[in-house]
Amino acid sequence: MTGGAPGSPGPGVTTFARAWAKAVTGTSYVPLALAEVETYLGGLAGRLATALTAEPFSPRAGYDIGAELVAADFAAAETLGRTIEVTQLRLLHDLDLATPDAADRLGRLLGALATGFTRAVRDRTLDEQETIRQAALVARVQAEQALRASEARFRHQATHDPLTGLPNRALFGHRLAEALGQNGEGRVGVCFIDLDGFKVINDSLGHGIGDRLLVAIAARLGQHVATHRQLVARMGGDEFVVLVVDPADTDELIAVAEEVLAAVAVPVHIDGHELAVTASIGIAESPAAGTDPTGLMRAADITLQWAKSAGKGRWALFDPARDDLEIARYALSAQMPAALERGEFVVEYQPMVSLFETTLVGVEALVRWRHPRLGRLSPSEFIPLAEETGLILRLGYTVLEEACGQAAHWWPEAKPEGFISVNLAVRQVHDPGLVDKVLGILGRTGLDPARLQLEITESSVMGPDTEPIAALRDLAARGIRIAIDDFGTGYSNLAYLRRLPVRELKIAGEFVTGLRSADATGNPTDERILATLVSLAHTLGLTVTAEGVETTAQADRLRAIGCDAAQGWLYGRPGPADTIGGLVEAGSGLA
Amino acid sequence: MDRPDWAPEDIDMERPSAARMYDYYLGGSHNFAADRAAAQQVQAVIPDVSVSAQANRTFLRRAVRFLVDSGVRQFLDIGSGIPTLGNVHEIAQQADPASRVVYVDIDPVAVAHSRRILAGNDHATAIRADGRQPDTILGHPEVRALLDFEQPVAIMMVAMLHFVSDDDDPAGMVRALHGAVPSGSYLALSHGTDDARPGDGAIGMAIYRNTANPITLRTRAQVTALFDGFELVPPGVVWVPQWHPDSPDEVGENPERTGVLGGVGRKE
Repeated sequence: MTGGAPGSPGPGVTTFARAWAKAVTGTSYVPLALAEVETYLGGLAGRLATALTAEPFSPRAGYDIGAELVAADFAAAETLGRTIEVTQLRLLHDLDLATPDAADRLGRLLGALATGFTRAVRDRTLDEQETIRQAALVARVQAEQALRASEARFRHQATHDPLTGLPNRALFGHRLAEALGQNGEGRVGVCFIDLDGFKVINDSLGHGIGDRLLVAIAARLGQHVATHRQLVARMGGDEFVVLVVDPADTDELIAVAEEVLAAVAVPVHIDGHELAVTASIGIAESPAAGTDPTGLMRAADITLQWAKSAGKGRWALFDPARDDLEIARYALSAQMPAALERGEFVVEYQPMVSLFETTLVGVEALVRWRHPRLGRLSPSEFIPLAEETGLILRLGYTVLEEACGQAAHWWPEAKPEGFISVNLAVRQVHDPGLVDKVLGILGRTGLDPARLQLEITESSVMGPDTEPIAALRDLAARGIRIAIDDFGTGYSNLAYLRRLPVRELKIAGEFVTGLRSADATGNPTDERILATLVSLAHTLGLTVTAEGVETTAQADRLRAIGCDAAQGWLYGRPGPADTIGGLVEAGSGLA
Repeated sequence: MDRPDWAPEDIDMERPSAARMYDYYLGGSHNFAADRAAAQQVQAVIPDVSVSAQANRTFLRRAVRFLVDSGVRQFLDIGSGIPTLGNVHEIAQQADPASRVVYVDIDPVAVAHSRRILAGNDHATAIRADGRQPDTILGHPEVRALLDFEQPVAIMMVAMLHFVSDDDDPAGMVRALHGAVPSGSYLALSHGTDDARPGDGAIGMAIYRNTANPITLRTRAQVTALFDGFELVPPGVVWVPQWHPDSPDEVGENPERTGVLGGVGRKE
């Protein structure tokens, strides 16, 4: 805005400038007050006046003034029109200029002014158009960048855990699938990590602390474990996973697990709490080609459970054989309820014989599973599963009822002597309904309680619970015999023998095995133990039955020791009721 | 934070924008064919619209000078439009180079242009935000970085609130801004009205309805009510040429022809 020439304009110039300002007011927006406009235009008017009389004459000043008007934002078409008008009408008069060529010169100056003005307007218009298009372009580019950034942010959010910032389950799944999708000979390893004791911290100190602990642990895992071949992800809760693409060998995976254990082991300090947690890790690996991600993750998860059940704070390596076994066990236990409905469980009977009178003293009822595919399964293969699932109660009472019914059939009269011996499972011993159920079965089958012996294991009556003891005493009071099965293999704590109304001890077959021969090749320790047990039992007024007797030599040794009765292949294998029905009826006459 | 938060589809040169139409009224060429077509439609109904734009712009200049003279050094110009000549920062920084100015507009092109003009000016910036969301503006990191809300701030809403419908609660906007600034702060506001010539406005409003920025004209009483919480500086809410003219000549014979009311209020 320094277009006006300095110096003191004559009074004519000032008068003209005022008229000029008034003429153009409102035609263009200029950020000037009216007085400022007059001053500015006064400068330009002075230069016009100078040009009118300059020698030699040049219209150049007119051109410049036209351009300067536009630069000073006097850029409207009306501004130019009124400028030409007011200048033509007033300038020479206001300057009192009457030189012969003044009118000519004014005409040429105004022509140049119009040229300078319009050319400047045109340049300015084009510039502004260019500028606004640029702005639109920039705005669009930035908007697209912003969109991409927000898409990237969204992608990041979709693939990362918001709490810890680690990759989440989705990204892990994607990377795992990617790693497994590669062809060739690569392998893929997974370390499935679960923090031990995290729940306790969460419950006792609150989720806020729990979350901060997770963040701290995640940071360590991210820092120490994540590499270009290893992805650490949070699967949710306190579960993390490390994916190792192409591990050199199993040792590398174990090294990763060790690193994780070490990283987790360092206590975390939060709000004055020193938080110490450990981790359990399940390691699984497989060839990349042809492996199903779900299968690999399942293996890692199962292995994690092994690590937990082995005592936590450790890693475990997936073992397919163990897995197969567990799967088979699982399948078997799942089939049991239906098998029970279909009657696949059958009761077999094995005689117990007096060692001195070679007469039948009783019959043990043993359950077998006639599996349609696996064949005949022995109790050791399915009783523990039934104990786990709780099906043992139904199974146990079913066997008891069938055995009692059979015994009632065998021994309708008081004579000859004999009893049916049935195993009671741990859960049955602890079943509050035990007494009622046993009495109900006796009532339904009509079996004399004195002809029933219940075999329990030592462990089923161990522990602080006194109710089982009371129930057994109740049953004993009604004449039912109580026997301790497999005596000598458990704790052999004799204290309970004082509280329990036990009538008989059954000695496990493994002690009898040591008696295989009567000479020096036998195991003298076993024999001594046996002798002591028998002596002890007799002192307490109990009878002793030895199981697993296979040879006459063993029978002889047992007889020598003073054992009362025996059971085993020597006297008859377990079989259907009709195979030993004859023995029962004879009541004696065994070899 | 150079990244804008507008979407590519917001930049539509086929759709008239109030900011670019205003530039056209002022004689600028920062506009596209669609803007000019819409602006010419308005001009056909309201031939004085260019006069109104100039008068409004002149009001802005005088208001900023008044505020600078009153000691204000921070300006939050909401609805700043295309920064053509005589911008707030030019006027304010001419008076005191330390003056701080944040321009806010909803038009991404206007903002991009403003940022280009302001490149290298550490004391002025432009952000894109919707004036109807004062909390977004007040919480914007660039606003927080440049303006000190412990010190007086001049809130400029020049020819802006008539782009806010009653449903969008212009009074609530002003209230939120009022709450964010300390006493000694100012509100400078101008607003379109058809008080003087009922009818014209309705047609103008109808034309703007097809733009990105529909218009709502308000009466003098309604405009005055928007200053709630601010003490109006004399002469109160008047036709913009009447507000602190540089000379009596500048008011002109028919200031109501501008159709724009303006005023400045101070938060006590």
